[in-house]
Amino acid sequence: MSEEKKNLNPQVASPVSSSDNIGKGKRHMGLKAKTIAGNTIIYVILVAMTVIWLFPFVCILFQSFEVDHTNMTGNILPVKWGFDNYIRLFTSTDFETGGFGRWYVNTLVISLATAVIQTIIVLCMSYTLSRLRFKGRKFLMNFMLVLGMFPGMLTMIILYRVLADLNLIKQNAIPGLILVYVASSGMGYYVSKGFFDTVPKSLDEAARVDGATRAQVLIKVILPLSKPIVIYTLLTAFMGPWGDFVFASYIAFSTSAGMNVAVGLQSLIATPSAMSANYTMFCAGGVLVAIPITVLFLFLQKYYVEGVTGGAVKG
Amino acid sequence: MRRYSDLEYLKLNKLQRFFYKIACFFVGIPGFFKRLGIKIWQFIKKIGLGIANIFVDLFLTFKNGDYKTRISYVLMGFGNMMRGQVGRGILFFVFEVVFILYMVFYGGYWLKMMPSLGLQGPEHIYDPDLDVWITIYHDNSFKILLYSVLSIFFIVAFVYTWRLNIKQNKIAQDILNTSERKELENEKKAQVKEYQLNHDKFVATQDEKAERRSSINKKYDDLVAALDINSRTYKQDKKYIESNRRFELARINKDPKIVAIELEYKDKIDHTGKPLKSGKDDLQSLVDDQFHKTLLALPLIGIIIFTVLPIVFMILVAFTNYNGAENNGYSNNLFHWVGWDNFNTILNWNSGNKAYSAAFGEILGWTLLWAFFATFSNYFLGMVVAIMINKKGIKLKKFWRTVLVLTIAIPQFISLLYVSKMFSDNGMILTFMRDHFHIDPNFSFIGTSANPWVARLTIIIINIWIGIPYLMLIATGILMNIPADLYESAQIDGANVWQQYTKITLPYMLFVTGPYLLTSFIGNMNNFNVIYLLTGGGPTNAAASTAAGSVGYTDLLVTWLFKITTGAGAEYYMASVIGILIFVVVSILSLIVYNIIPSTKNEEDFQ
Amino acid sequence: MASVKLTEVKKVYQGNVVAVHNFNLDIKDKEFIVFVGPSGCGKSTTLRMIAGLEEISEGTVEIDGEVVNDLQPKDRYVSMVFQNYALYPHLTVFENMAFPLRLDRNYRVFPLNEKEREAIQKKIDSGKLNEKQLEEAKEALEKGKRVRGFPQEEIYKRVTNAAEILGITPYLTRKPKALSGGQRQRVAIGRAMVKDCKVFLMDEPLSNLDAKLRNQMRAEIILLRKRIDTTFIYVTHDQTEAMTLGDRIVIMKDGFIMQVGSPTQVFDSPNNLFVAEFIGAPKMNIVSSQLVKEGNKYFVTPFGSKIEVDGDKGAKLLEKGIETRDILLGFRPEHAVLASKPGPNTIKVTLLVNEMMGSELHLHLLTDDNTQLIVRVPTIQLTDKEREEMVAGKELYITFEGKVMHFFDPETEISLLCEENSPSKQNIEALKEAAQVK
Repeated sequence: MSEEKKNLNPQVASPVSSSDNIGKGKRHMGLKAKTIAGNTIIYVILVAMTVIWLFPFVCILFQSFEVDHTNMTGNILPVKWGFDNYIRLFTSTDFETGGFGRWYVNTLVISLATAVIQTIIVLCMSYTLSRLRFKGRKFLMNFMLVLGMFPGMLTMIILYRVLADLNLIKQNAIPGLILVYVASSGMGYYVSKGFFDTVPKSLDEAARVDGATRAQVLIKVILPLSKPIVIYTLLTAFMGPWGDFVFASYIAFSTSAGMNVAVGLQSLIATPSAMSANYTMFCAGGVLVAIPITVLFLFLQKYYVEGVTGGAVKG
Repeated sequence: MRRYSDLEYLKLNKLQRFFYKIACFFVGIPGFFKRLGIKIWQFIKKIGLGIANIFVDLFLTFKNGDYKTRISYVLMGFGNMMRGQVGRGILFFVFEVVFILYMVFYGGYWLKMMPSLGLQGPEHIYDPDLDVWITIYHDNSFKILLYSVLSIFFIVAFVYTWRLNIKQNKIAQDILNTSERKELENEKKAQVKEYQLNHDKFVATQDEKAERRSSINKKYDDLVAALDINSRTYKQDKKYIESNRRFELARINKDPKIVAIELEYKDKIDHTGKPLKSGKDDLQSLVDDQFHKTLLALPLIGIIIFTVLPIVFMILVAFTNYNGAENNGYSNNLFHWVGWDNFNTILNWNSGNKAYSAAFGEILGWTLLWAFFATFSNYFLGMVVAIMINKKGIKLKKFWRTVLVLTIAIPQFISLLYVSKMFSDNGMILTFMRDHFHIDPNFSFIGTSANPWVARLTIIIINIWIGIPYLMLIATGILMNIPADLYESAQIDGANVWQQYTKITLPYMLFVTGPYLLTSFIGNMNNFNVIYLLTGGGPTNAAASTAAGSVGYTDLLVTWLFKITTGAGAEYYMASVIGILIFVVVSILSLIVYNIIPSTKNEEDFQ
Repeated sequence: MASVKLTEVKKVYQGNVVAVHNFNLDIKDKEFIVFVGPSGCGKSTTLRMIAGLEEISEGTVEIDGEVVNDLQPKDRYVSMVFQNYALYPHLTVFENMAFPLRLDRNYRVFPLNEKEREAIQKKIDSGKLNEKQLEEAKEALEKGKRVRGFPQEEIYKRVTNAAEILGITPYLTRKPKALSGGQRQRVAIGRAMVKDCKVFLMDEPLSNLDAKLRNQMRAEIILLRKRIDTTFIYVTHDQTEAMTLGDRIVIMKDGFIMQVGSPTQVFDSPNNLFVAEFIGAPKMNIVSSQLVKEGNKYFVTPFGSKIEVDGDKGAKLLEKGIETRDILLGFRPEHAVLASKPGPNTIKVTLLVNEMMGSELHLHLLTDDNTQLIVRVPTIQLTDKEREEMVAGKELYITFEGKVMHFFDPETEISLLCEENSPSKQNIEALKEAAQVK
């Protein structure tokens, strides 16, 4: 028996022999030094990245305070500080009636309405596709997948015509935009569906055995557990309209009263002459748009991250 | 070629395995196509059989139907109403009326005009009274196309509803006319007849009727009182008793013995088989087993009207010559079907306008290149950043992540517009470089005179700046899910950092984010914002621009589409064609990728 | 408080995968039935069909005489305890248990409490009521108030009662994530207890607990059963649970019922090889052998020995007219004994491994033709010296009596003593066919 034991482990070679104290110590420190070196490099990279990433925004912030006009050449710090740009945004009569204030309110209205309605629609869609089983479910999912492969811009023209017939363009662009954003939002169900997929089915079943109808299961059991994804959907739905340029510009059709901030700000620097006159105003406008969204985002960052990492991954 | 067994394959070294795999791939191609052909043929057969089945079903239902079912073929909802499902019947009937009215007054007209898309175009007419030229618009091709597509949708919806109506009739008939019930009905009739033969006709006086009425009422009142209030079926039982009461009271003129027989059989018949769903049942099921219909109704309507309809419309436009430009002085001129002409032009099938196909080819090439680099550069760099931040021993993890996440918060159009100005010819960066590094004053990143490839490289790099934060977030989430003991075991086995990355992290990440990479690739192919806001598609590509609009070296297919649509020419038809081609490319890519990547084939590998 | 009857119940999934074949079972009121079998045998699917969570492809399920195929779970009056407890994470323990009570929408009559009684009496005395109202008030005084659903006091009463029985009263205000596995399990049971239910369903409730807790909970379930006097249907893969808890056991394999019977029946007279090996641990020893008929006596001849089949079994074999044939012979490890000396009815074996289990030794033995057998020997039967000598390589002799033997047909694996028309027999044959088709 004991012979067998020996043969199983022919060489028991120890990497560090116990008698070699000096060698042990050196190796030990070598590992630590490597880690420290590695970490330092990483810190350096991270700091560099922070600078690079934040640089443009710092620039915008500073340049928005520049009272002088064309500040395109390398000066970051304003020559002369002042709030002129901000004031001019709201009071200037250079463009048609409306101006920045109008754009801001427009966009705010659009995004609030969109946030609420879109969340409801997306949640309905994703819950149904995730938990309920019905004939044609697979077909529906495949169908929407195929629909999504068409570029969105294609539908722009006809939607514009339809909205025009309904008189929802130009000045009345706001309801028109809301309608368009919301109507097809059901197709963006993937992230929410991924989230719902992770809620255990036995909760549904326990509730149904306890006497709940499917509607009650959704309202009483699933929704209270879905706070992260609801907030994520609300947040993304809210942020969307602030950045939509293509569609908003097409529908607003150069009527200032109907523009949202994206289109409006772009019109400020659309031509070179406009650019030289309004560049700093554009910066100011950018700051005003960026700040509330950034603040909102920071507050709800936790939910956003959870939504992206939890739901988006499943595809 | 001989296929190796598993054990034999393990014997080969890396090079041999590589060649073996290539050989297998090529050898497998004919087999692949054969299998594909078989699958397609089976699919066609299935559809054909399905359609045939539907017709057979319709025919049989009519043949076996009672009069209620047969009339329902023409008058929708008739069968439902006659059988007690009033709510459903009314809905069906109203829908039919609306449809017929619509088709007669509107739909017919639009559909008639559809093949020609309008016969009489707009014209200028001189009005002598007002001494001015007026424009009179007659047929409007756009409206014709739009409304005839709507009418077709409506027709499809109607056919579907009609078929639903027939199906419900069939089901109801089956439930109510089971052989059991038929037998019972016949028994009842026989008994009644026998009784009538043996007895005289019955006539009741007023007093007798009143007496009978009160005795019937008493009988049923007692029955109701005797019901157990706590029983689950209390309400149902009460309802049934009341219906029996009404039954008897209605037959007060009949011989009570006959009524007794009829009542006895009514009880028996009512309790055989399943009951039909009542209106209340329907409402109740809408929140329970049919809840999906309730939830999906609104979203689906939105999608059909605002996505499906426009896409169908635009596909049709690709076969016309619809443009939105001023045409002979008319802002809304007629357009017509042109068949495959537009496709010819763009794909150069019949050597049409060569410029278009050349432009298309070049833009397509750059689109694919851009999508590839944009996606993968962001992906790998984002992963690297995530790993760096996630590493043990790095402090302030939250801070680094927040900084990066901040850039997601700021609306893209601001960042992009601003950065594009930074990199422009008079912008911050070039000024800085000219002042301090004395570079060639003509050097331009993304301006109009820039080298196309410099411009392309620049926007890829700027896109990295935009995209890394998103990828970092996703990668962080996934990295946290990789079990730590995988790494520990690898360390014990002697793997260094790079090996751990390629053998553990990378495979896991690729597996989990496979589908995401595909969607990201497609998204980048259609990434309008980045290209348009950064460069507007420039620097201009003179050769390609002879086709339409001002095409640039950094134009994607989508930006080209946008330019065509909003440009002076407004050749909507070309835009549609491009849109369709984008769809084709994307779908082929998706199909191939989905069938190759292991994420969908071996779903359980990592679970 | 109801009987359950399953008639020809079948469950077919898409793609023609049959999960449950022709399930027929009559469960009497207040019976404790256990569905047991290996993973994937269809026991959970059957349970879920009874609960209403799965659609029934064919056949009927009747609860209390009423066909429930088309009823939603909430209309069937069943309670269910899930394997992973399925507690609502956002509700406290109290609310979890109160959840089914709050959803109830039936009319019930409750006795009045003092205050309400006085109030109604006052109304009657005040004389302000007309005739009809007077009658209603008098009726209310007599019978009690008619209310929809459960009033708050009733909910409180029921929940605290159940909590006390289960010993979870101190946790009533906690949320599930602050409880251990065993406590969560009790809350799940509590939630199922508070309803008026006809059938109490349990889907592998003890699988997620550690071994010690499992034993404890098993005893508690037996106590629970005495408290709630209702019909229980319990699903498990652990045959020990099945044997200790069930009045009757239903053993399933691949969607077929293999045998239905009380624990004793299933242990003493397994219908086929699968049941014989499934019940009892360690597994029954199965060896190929011959059944020899000499006159009116039967003998088995494993490994060169000759052992008589006596008593009832011999008589039954005679009844069935079984002749000499090949069989698979089965005997349980605890039924074999060590023979003190070799003889015509002993089998010569060599000891491979000796597992010391405390009160008994599990001896893994090897016969001359390399068949492995297991025999359980109580420790007290051996002297200290004998115990020390139990090392690998020792030669031993074992034997067993005729009345502990089981005989199986080598091809169909059905017990020779199985009744001709038992449905299990049909199922076993069908199973064999299905396996061969694959």
